[in-house]
Amino acid sequence: MVALLKGLLKPFEVWNDLILPVGRAIAIVLVALMVVAILVQVFFRYVLDNPLPWPDEAARFCMLWMTGLIAPMAYRRGGFVAIDTLVQALPARVAATISFVLLLIAAFVLGFAVKIGYGEITGFNARFATASLYVPTAVDFSEWMKVPRWWMSASLFVGVILLFIVNVELIIRTLITILGGGDQLKSLAPADDVVAE
Amino acid sequence: MLIWFLPVFLIFLMIGLPVFFGLLAAPGILLFLSDLNAGAPDPTKQLTVLYRNVYNGMDSFPLMAIPFFMLAGELMNKGGITTRLVEFSQALMGHLRGGLAHVNILSSILFAGLSGSAVADTSALGSMLIPAMEKQGYTRKFAAAITAASSVIGPIIPPSGIMIIYAYVMGESVAALFLAGIVPGILVGVGLMLVVRLMADKYDLPKAERIVKRGAEMSKTEAFTSFAVLRLALGGLLMWIVTSLTGLEATGATAWLTLLVCIVAVDLGLRQMRKAVSDDFRLVCKKAVLPLMTPVIIMGGILAGVFTPTEAAAIAVFYALIIGFLVLRTLTFRELGDVLSRAAMTSAVVLLLVGAAMAFKTVVSLSYAPQILADLILSLSENPYILLFLINVLLFIVGMFLDAGPAIIILGPILGPIFTDLGVDSIHFAIIMSVNLTVGLATPPMGLVLFVASSVSGERVETIAKAILPFLAVEILVIFLITYIPAISMTIPRLTGFVQ
Repeated sequence: MVALLKGLLKPFEVWNDLILPVGRAIAIVLVALMVVAILVQVFFRYVLDNPLPWPDEAARFCMLWMTGLIAPMAYRRGGFVAIDTLVQALPARVAATISFVLLLIAAFVLGFAVKIGYGEITGFNARFATASLYVPTAVDFSEWMKVPRWWMSASLFVGVILLFIVNVELIIRTLITILGGGDQLKSLAPADDVVAE
Repeated sequence: MLIWFLPVFLIFLMIGLPVFFGLLAAPGILLFLSDLNAGAPDPTKQLTVLYRNVYNGMDSFPLMAIPFFMLAGELMNKGGITTRLVEFSQALMGHLRGGLAHVNILSSILFAGLSGSAVADTSALGSMLIPAMEKQGYTRKFAAAITAASSVIGPIIPPSGIMIIYAYVMGESVAALFLAGIVPGILVGVGLMLVVRLMADKYDLPKAERIVKRGAEMSKTEAFTSFAVLRLALGGLLMWIVTSLTGLEATGATAWLTLLVCIVAVDLGLRQMRKAVSDDFRLVCKKAVLPLMTPVIIMGGILAGVFTPTEAAAIAVFYALIIGFLVLRTLTFRELGDVLSRAAMTSAVVLLLVGAAMAFKTVVSLSYAPQILADLILSLSENPYILLFLINVLLFIVGMFLDAGPAIIILGPILGPIFTDLGVDSIHFAIIMSVNLTVGLATPPMGLVLFVASSVSGERVETIAKAILPFLAVEILVIFLITYIPAISMTIPRLTGFVQ
């Protein structure tokens, strides 16, 4: 049974090992872009006295995508804040069983979020455009179009999909632990300082 | 049925469900069941509202200050700023009995102006000061305990991550909260220093050398930048004082001339002071000028109405980059990637939590929970002083188990309106909550900074938890002072016009 579960775990493990670092790399660039956008805003508003319409929305665009792309890695590393006093005080298998139930609740939340998220980016709201963001549609920059709003809201949709996949990996890992194969699992990277304070 | 979402949420939390999922699962399940009971054609429809609230809650300009302040703090820390702040604190307070313990506290106060994180404070200062204190004969548990106890000042003195979150979730002014946190933060520091002073007599704590490195040098670029920046900042301050006191309206050329005169006056004053101190002392102070300009830029910009807090945070990042790469040349591009990654990951978790909190808040207002809780609280007593005492006890207990950020996100929308209705100023209540829950970061069994102090020092958490008790006692005293003397937190925001 453990061997079967390990086989099932493999594709999720490979996916998360490959995709989440890519998400993190993009998120790093997005943080840098956020800073640049706000500095441009400050420069144009206070130095040139000519406020630009786009930096605020562009920076929020970057922040939302940064969140969607890097939060799954934080979740995988155990960086989502939780009170784990009770679970830690229990024997390993009982703790793993409770963790399994908690992961199932998380799977329900994320499953609904994926379903609703899909509706949000394909439904009525998706027809609108952002207020001030444009992208070129011609190579010579002669034609531009407004960025559709769903490009922005897709950040949360992508985020919950990636979180769901991480959650599936965590569920399988927990099942393996319950069945006594916990010592055969590779350790996921430790949590960074993923705290608000 | 919706009223049950609070107990369900608490059960989820107690069994260890991550707060983010708890904030969505509990109201989600009950909204679904309510609609199912009412025979709604699509019981999942209301869940869309939760999803939209998460997204809209995160899509916010003010929240962007969180990643920026985290980034600025990380950049400063990587750039060797911590060493400079500690050396500066030591030059000021090292000669006192229990010198390094005082240095630890003062460094935390100064560090708090650069970073809004108690964890960053404990790990940065602890890794430097705990070994130094041990070398001087302090016990490891004492060194770890004072580091953990003083690090809670980080999120109280601005900039502060939890205050940005509170302000956003509760619709308060970030600037007002920042200003209201200054005196309470310093008060916690002074209280801890008094405890150290008492312990210094009892345990014969040693004095330290004021100057760690004699004959140190400074690059020409840094010397010039510090020289110019210090005179500009102090000149600007003097000009503000002069124009405020005399009512002089300085505009255009007059303003520039006034500033020039003030800068010259400051320069003359500094030259006089230079004669009274040693070259080594002067150099240590000079090395602290550039780091200490960060809070001046942040608060000065916000107070003068030049920047919003988010813009001030971006400027702080820019300043930290310039200092780290061009002036001190202590930052490398390789480190920059790590710093950006840590800031992004930390902020992403917080942003998701805030988004979920906005969804949770909607359900809080849909249910009758606040009214029922208000009735329950008011049935205990109608005296606001007694209720504030009880709420402090509740917050303290919550703080023992839950980190300050999530606790504020959960409890703010529930408790804030109740106490505002009782006549407690919303900013005052925000500070009571923030300070109380921040102190909770250093309380066993779940105090996050205790764990960080333990990993930095190698001392067991239980041992640090016992050693920290005298410091916690004074912090609890400060919480009650802040609670019952609103002027402690409200004076600066009132004087600056951020609170009426």
